[in-house]
Amino acid sequence: MSKTDFLTLKGVDKRFAVKDGELSVLENISLNIRQGEFISIVGGSGCGKSTLLRLLVGLEEASAGHLLLDGEPIRGTDPERGIVFQDHRLYPWLSVEDNVLLALANSPLSPAERLDTVHRHLELVGLKNFTRAYPAQLSGGMSQRVAIARGLVNRPKILLLDEPFGALDALTRAQLQEELARIWLAEGITTVLVTHDVDEAVLLGDRVVVMEPRPGRIKRIVEIDPPHPRRREDYRLAELRNDILQDFSQHQASPLLHPQHEQRAFRSYAMAW
Amino acid sequence: MSTTRAAAVPRSLPHWRWHWQSPGLARPLNWLSVKAGALLLPAALLLLWHTAVTREWVSAQILPPPELVLQTFLDLARSGDLWFELSISLQRVLIGSLLGGLVGLALGLLMGLSRQVEAYLWPLFQAIAQVPVLGWIPLLMMLVGIDEGLKYLVIAKAVLVPMTINTFAGIRNIPASYLEVAQVYRFNLVQRLHRVILPAALPSIFTGVRFALTKGWIALVTVELLASSEGIGYLMVDGRQMFQLDLVIVSMLVIGLVGLLLDKGLALIETRLQRWQRQAF
Repeated sequence: MSKTDFLTLKGVDKRFAVKDGELSVLENISLNIRQGEFISIVGGSGCGKSTLLRLLVGLEEASAGHLLLDGEPIRGTDPERGIVFQDHRLYPWLSVEDNVLLALANSPLSPAERLDTVHRHLELVGLKNFTRAYPAQLSGGMSQRVAIARGLVNRPKILLLDEPFGALDALTRAQLQEELARIWLAEGITTVLVTHDVDEAVLLGDRVVVMEPRPGRIKRIVEIDPPHPRRREDYRLAELRNDILQDFSQHQASPLLHPQHEQRAFRSYAMAW
Repeated sequence: MSTTRAAAVPRSLPHWRWHWQSPGLARPLNWLSVKAGALLLPAALLLLWHTAVTREWVSAQILPPPELVLQTFLDLARSGDLWFELSISLQRVLIGSLLGGLVGLALGLLMGLSRQVEAYLWPLFQAIAQVPVLGWIPLLMMLVGIDEGLKYLVIAKAVLVPMTINTFAGIRNIPASYLEVAQVYRFNLVQRLHRVILPAALPSIFTGVRFALTKGWIALVTVELLASSEGIGYLMVDGRQMFQLDLVIVSMLVIGLVGLLLDKGLALIETRLQRWQRQAF
């Protein structure tokens, strides 16, 4: 019933111009995402996972390769691709309601329908009593809920989440992870979550894409088989998490530097003695 | 984001500032010490003034006694002369400030929105801003004479500079993340301006308005002292020429009070416009 190549990345490269030449941030990223799937992308800092998400939003353009959503190439931003950033990015001069409403600024809906949609989404994230509050009056977790409502209010084809809970305390984070799982199950929306938290990636994802840095590449893709809704303390999840974590410790055991850099590093180390 | 704004400081950072509270003092006294504290120094100055005159430290012709100044003020107020001169001055400030304020706002917006406009205008603007209002008056007198036009231009120049700088800075300091959100929802230029750029720059623009009005009021007095036959500044010139120092002091007091009231009025509007900065819970 669901398309297996709903969101497709084919040989995607991303290079940035730097002072002396080019910096390759992403190299040959290929990935097929099913409709309705929850994909977690996990990796350490500098693996290009946030850049990958910015390509999907349309805030950056790929240097090579193709990105296709539902058969259409991704060009620039579009309300059919919702995004939640790590910092909630609510406008402090607008109330909660108006912050979500602004995502519908160019929507074909009538004003009454817009307001109704906004209220339904604020209810979905459990904030229907805070429509008139201002961002300065909200906690970090509440702000991020508003951001999720804003990301969903356009009924996008995919929801992109860029470390959405990275700035929250551990208790709030756990709570919001469960909320997100509930919302995803209820809405059935294709979701791409970028995170550096392996637990989070495993708890929420149907598959976890493990990335390695410099330049950012896909190391492997892990199928997370326990069915939703999941329990955090599920033994199988812990097993999968430990498996993925091993990828990262292997990383550290075998140096990431190129051979010549390695030698130079070794030499300078010797000189210090 | 309000850290650069002087007006927001008392609201957002009350704790680290020194606020002496004697545990022995009753609450009403503490309240009084804060609220009435502003009047303490003026009262002391008044006492010093009074003493200086009664002890004849200064000749009464040079420093008239406070009672005489009050009497002159009441006479001027009753006869309507004071209000007449004041209305003339306020009208000049209004027209000059509107002129300078709107041009300054437009300049700041254009330079904030476009790097090209910034590259063309900013250096010239800075050079013009470096020359104080007083330095512009001789040239402007030759160009436009000493009529109302001169007053409007001088006030407009004084208002233009802080308006432009604060509007420009307000727009340039908008976090890129705010504009990325606008990009995600594909705002057009009008939506961008109305929903993001103007509200985000508003605190800074308002700081500019308050600075500008203070500068404009000062410029008015300057230009009226130099070239005018009406207005509150002229009242001061008149008093000095007739050696009526009570008139000079009344003018000074009125100028100071009106300036203070203008600023307070704007501060009130500012808090009304920016309720979202209020922190609750």
